[in-house]
Amino acid sequence: MPSYLLLLPIILPMLSGIILFVTRPKSSRAREVFVELSVIINSAVVLMLLLNRPQESFEIVRFVGNLTLSLRIDGMSSVFAGLVAILWPFATLYAFGYMKKVGGENRFFAFYTMTFGVTVGIAFSANLLTMYLFYEMLTLITTPLVAHEMTKESIRVALKYLCYSIGGAALAFIGLVFIIMLGNTNDFIFGGVLDMTELASRKNLVLFTYVVAFCGFSAKAAMFPLHKWLPEASIAPTPVTALLHAVAVVNSGAFAIMRITYYSFGTSVISGTWAQAVVMVLTIITIIYGSAMAVKEQHLKRRLAYSTVANLSYVLFGAAVMTPLGFVGALTHMCFHGVMKICLFFCAGNIMEQTEKNYVFELDGLAKKMPVTFACFAVSGLALVGVPPLAGFISKWNLGTAALDSGNPLAAIGFGAILISAFLTAIYIITIVIRAYFVSPQPDDGAKYCDPKFSMTFPIAVFAAGSILCGVFSGPFVMVFERIAGGLF
Amino acid sequence: MILALLIILPAVLALTCYIIGQRSVALRKLIYNFTLFAELALSVVLLIDVLSNGKAEVFLPKICSMGVGFEADGFRAIYVLIAAFMWAMTGLFSNEYFDGHHNLNRYFMFNLFTLSATAGLFLSSDLFTALIFLELLSFTSYVWVVQEESNEALNAGDTYLAVSVIGGMVSLLGLFLLYTQLGTLKIAELSSAAASYGGSKASLLVSGILTAVGFFAKAGVYPLHIWLPKAHPVAPAPASALLSGILTKAGVFGTAVLTAQIFVGDKKWGYVILTLGVITMVLGALLALISVDLKRTLACSSMSQIGFITVGIAMTALLDADNTLAARGVSLHMVNHSLIKLVLFMIAGVVFMNLHKLNLNDIRGAGKKNPLLMICFLIGGLSISGVPFFSGYLSKTLIHESIVEYYAMNPSLAIKAAEWLFIISGGLTFAYMTKLFVCLFIENGEGVKPVSLNKLSKFAIGISSAVLFALGIFPNFFADGIADRMQGFFSAYAENVTVDCFSFENLRGALISLVIGALAYMFAVRKILMKTSSRGTEYVDYTSKCFDLDTMLYRPLINIIVGIIGMALNLANSLVDTVSALVRMSALKSLPLSSPKKHSKFSQWRKSMSKENMILSSSLSYGLVACGFGIILMLIFLLARA
Repeated sequence: MPSYLLLLPIILPMLSGIILFVTRPKSSRAREVFVELSVIINSAVVLMLLLNRPQESFEIVRFVGNLTLSLRIDGMSSVFAGLVAILWPFATLYAFGYMKKVGGENRFFAFYTMTFGVTVGIAFSANLLTMYLFYEMLTLITTPLVAHEMTKESIRVALKYLCYSIGGAALAFIGLVFIIMLGNTNDFIFGGVLDMTELASRKNLVLFTYVVAFCGFSAKAAMFPLHKWLPEASIAPTPVTALLHAVAVVNSGAFAIMRITYYSFGTSVISGTWAQAVVMVLTIITIIYGSAMAVKEQHLKRRLAYSTVANLSYVLFGAAVMTPLGFVGALTHMCFHGVMKICLFFCAGNIMEQTEKNYVFELDGLAKKMPVTFACFAVSGLALVGVPPLAGFISKWNLGTAALDSGNPLAAIGFGAILISAFLTAIYIITIVIRAYFVSPQPDDGAKYCDPKFSMTFPIAVFAAGSILCGVFSGPFVMVFERIAGGLF
Repeated sequence: MILALLIILPAVLALTCYIIGQRSVALRKLIYNFTLFAELALSVVLLIDVLSNGKAEVFLPKICSMGVGFEADGFRAIYVLIAAFMWAMTGLFSNEYFDGHHNLNRYFMFNLFTLSATAGLFLSSDLFTALIFLELLSFTSYVWVVQEESNEALNAGDTYLAVSVIGGMVSLLGLFLLYTQLGTLKIAELSSAAASYGGSKASLLVSGILTAVGFFAKAGVYPLHIWLPKAHPVAPAPASALLSGILTKAGVFGTAVLTAQIFVGDKKWGYVILTLGVITMVLGALLALISVDLKRTLACSSMSQIGFITVGIAMTALLDADNTLAARGVSLHMVNHSLIKLVLFMIAGVVFMNLHKLNLNDIRGAGKKNPLLMICFLIGGLSISGVPFFSGYLSKTLIHESIVEYYAMNPSLAIKAAEWLFIISGGLTFAYMTKLFVCLFIENGEGVKPVSLNKLSKFAIGISSAVLFALGIFPNFFADGIADRMQGFFSAYAENVTVDCFSFENLRGALISLVIGALAYMFAVRKILMKTSSRGTEYVDYTSKCFDLDTMLYRPLINIIVGIIGMALNLANSLVDTVSALVRMSALKSLPLSSPKKHSKFSQWRKSMSKENMILSSSLSYGLVACGFGIILMLIFLLARA
């Protein structure tokens, strides 16, 4: 395929967003058809591009010297773009049902669709500069989504999100500048681009820059101590929390970190130094901290958000192991966690929307009234815990093998942390499942609840099935990840 | 092919059962029973196939990324057959037992899922597959425990799940270590990998023990036994029969694999397992003796019998190449215990189904008018007590014989003590079974209706007892045949090892045991555990007064740990808050970043502070005021100097 087509999946959603803004359709039917069609077409374009990928990169603009905005597809971008392209149509379908009650749909779907393009842009970026650009765009374009309800509280949270993200990006910018200064190029090349002769005298400076850039990008991936925005942002409508704060936004943070670790700085430079130790310790702290906070938290969506904090740090931990196996583990968990967590959030959305119950202790005996929702919640929840043979088990297995195989004592400790966190996950997920299924409801609660309509149950059923199938038939996925981690794909 | 079918068939039909059960109960019953008998037929075919063609194997690459593998040898085929048989019998019994119960669709679905997982576990050819099915087993059988949804059931379910999940995690850790050390998890390759392992034996031992923890938890070995006495009384009787008869054996299976493949001849491993086994055996027997709840007694008895089996497994490790006797003893005792508990728990189910009570004081004489029940209970009770001519006698004698054998090779006080504890526990078994028998079939209870059961249940209990009886009465025909097929699994390959089970030496051991049991019953049970009051003699409940690891140690410990972690978390959270608050109060004064939560003291303080500081609401004015304050101070200082 010609390489200029790479621009298409980024432009298309932007255009549909703008059209939505301009026309402001009154009938929800017309809007839904338009949005869903454009999202599906865009997903199809992305998947087509992934299957017949253009080999050379496409240059959009050239600034001075080697500073360009250019797009290219390699193995890693295929994984992230593929994940996003598969999840987006289902999430949009879900959002139609959910947003009916919230209102302001034209604005919402305009930004929601535009985010798709920006996320694909992050995935397709050929160099650090382009990725940074899209990364900042993602922050700006998702802020209105967080503040969608325009209450005082949601505006406050949106500002907080903005501060964290921009602050993080400012730190990441330091990394960008140093890569441009010290690297041969700022393109993503597997193994790193640093100029080894320059490096010898400034090793510590480079390591420091790496830590700074890692922490900067980790703001989006919600790593401790820059995690606070994520649990609070669960005030946003569920489609936003689910798709953006469990998959697209947080994963672009993790994606960026993997890019700078494996493709810009290069593992050979960082591995075994104090910089690796620092970032690994941070991820280990976050793993335990996030899970423990999730156990403590009683608000359903905030609990899931804390769980995301912990699980994103699994991904970062895998990246910080800095071996090919660690990379495999990180990619596996990035994808599988996306599927599981989006399902959990949608289930939580269904529960909150149908029953207006927000807290875990209010869920007694609801499973009999909302069988589909809770069945999906149970399946994807158990997958998140890591019950074999579901998806979470496979990613945990890959991370564990990577940690022990690396021979790094800190990685072994990290693996211990993952096991403890798995136990905590079991507590905070299974308590919900048990309450819903086996505890009889409070007697004064005679209200009739039921599963929501098809457009909101179908996506969760698909994702729940996905978290089973991703686990059982994980062989091909893991094989692809292994090839990427070997730099072959 | 048939291996995969054994695992997939129940899982697929489980879902069918659930979906159809929403529409028609009769059809669900039909499908459920059909599944069980189809599984039974399949496992018979598998056994015949294995006996005539040797091992069957299947490996599914890429499934679960590592690939899962199944194989069938004598041990596995026999155990799958036993599992299918137990499921079929409890299935027949379920028809009557569950009449009028709720949530049956759910129960039957998870019942079949568990059958699938159990078959998968027993057929697994590598430890990775075994772990997958072990975890599945834990979660699917959890639903049985909480089936009644009462508070006790939920409580017991929590304990069960916690033990299973923690066990599973520790096992996973152990498996990772084993995998990095040995480079393989295939059961057939483990022994050669362990033999050529270059690292220290101690590290291998550590990973072995870690791996075994999950299996110990399932088997109910001390100190992870806590779920057994809690879960059995609250679970429905057919489920208790399976939990105790088959699910505990799933744990034994894993322990046996590790012992036979990696640690044969490893003295340290042997002693660790032996110690755990002896504690479990004695503790279980004592708990069973003082218990006044029918199913709880049987549950503690299960724990004790698992102890016997674990002791046998320890002997297979300690005796190294001469472990044939021990291997045969363990195999037979596993089979016997499965069948015994099948019979006894179904009888307990009959009692509960009629009277809805399990306390021994409330069910006295419940089975008096029912000779079939009495005979069946007698067969089970005599078997488990190891009375000659009943099946338990042979297996216990073999294990006892292996202890004696090891003592002859390696005389030490510890082994002698283990032998005596073995005999005493055997005696206690006799004592508590006598207690149950006397209570159910001899004593007279006031206002206790005699129990009744329908033909199908009679058939299920009768057939199970008949099989059990046949095992004991024709030891050379059935028992030797089974032991010959199963012993290879324990890395015991000597052939034609038959013991003259009715020699004087062996009878003497059993007789000592029975005498101890009789004395224990006469003195301990009748004098101490029963009290005579105005209402006649009563069984006194000492269980509440006695030390329960779960309520006395584990739960408080968890609470303390949770408290400490909670404090640490609050600290970490408020640290970040403090920093952001400081930043907010100085640099970002005008940016309304966070509104304080109502209930936090710290944020209340912050709120009041920000109210008082309304004047300084912009950082510029704040800065100016601070500057002015500084100038004033400086002025004062200068004036004072002058």
